Amino acid sequence: MSYQATNPLADDFEFELGGTTTAYWIGLLRVITGWWFFHAGVTKIIESGLNFGYGPAYMQQMTGTALGPIPVWMGNNLAWLIKPGVPLFETLIGLALMVGVLTRLAAVGGTVFMTLFWVGNAGFGHGLVNSDLMGLLLFVTVLVLGAGRYYGLDAIIEKTEFVRQRPRLRYLLG
Amino acid sequence: MTTTIDKAAQALSGGLILLGIVGLGLVETLAGKPFAPVPLTNDAGEVIAQPMFGPELRTGLVLAGLLVLALYGGYKLATPVEPTEGATGHETVAD
Repeated sequence: MSYQATNPLADDFEFELGGTTTAYWIGLLRVITGWWFFHAGVTKIIESGLNFGYGPAYMQQMTGTALGPIPVWMGNNLAWLIKPGVPLFETLIGLALMVGVLTRLAAVGGTVFMTLFWVGNAGFGHGLVNSDLMGLLLFVTVLVLGAGRYYGLDAIIEKTEFVRQRPRLRYLLG
Repeated sequence: MTTTIDKAAQALSGGLILLGIVGLGLVETLAGKPFAPVPLTNDAGEVIAQPMFGPELRTGLVLAGLLVLALYGGYKLATPVEPTEGATGHETVAD
């Protein structure tokens, strides 16, 4: 089967990554994923300020997971960081993704959050692939594609002389 | 340009993630109920069937795959990068 209307005999297929539709969709995916986390974070701030007590409690319950005793230890000893950190970082990660600034760095943060949600929720009643894993995959996708370059401010920031002189920043931007 | 390290990182991380989700998932599905990695209970709440692989093992494999990706990202950060096109680019005169 040919994908070329002008040449029915051609059998090559190209999905142009620089194409308009792809850029549009990657940009949309990034903004919606950002809104998801921004909403989760900002509503926690509205409800309980920077004192999200459920955060450490959630970590303390993560016994017997693939992460071993690490989250339990964190819940017991890093409550001072987790209580303000969860609402604050969720909000910042969401904002960063929506505007497309430091997108890859923010996506790493989102991946860490979603890993804890996926492993810790431990529902799995409908299988291992649940909405938490899909959320995790969304963040990894944003990270791998450098989604901030598509209608995001990272596209502009990466063209500045500062970033040109420091090309490694593209692993945090983009 | 794809290097041996790129290929190794992709193969290892992809292999671990796919093994945890698809590979063991397929074995578990073929082994019969429960089809999800949680114990099957009857109406009285008694466990009547255990999953072949616990969620700890399968999520652990996926996490190991993600860890390989993270280490790969760290390696990319630590190694020299090619300059951007704009910094070293030159104009080519058309014929």
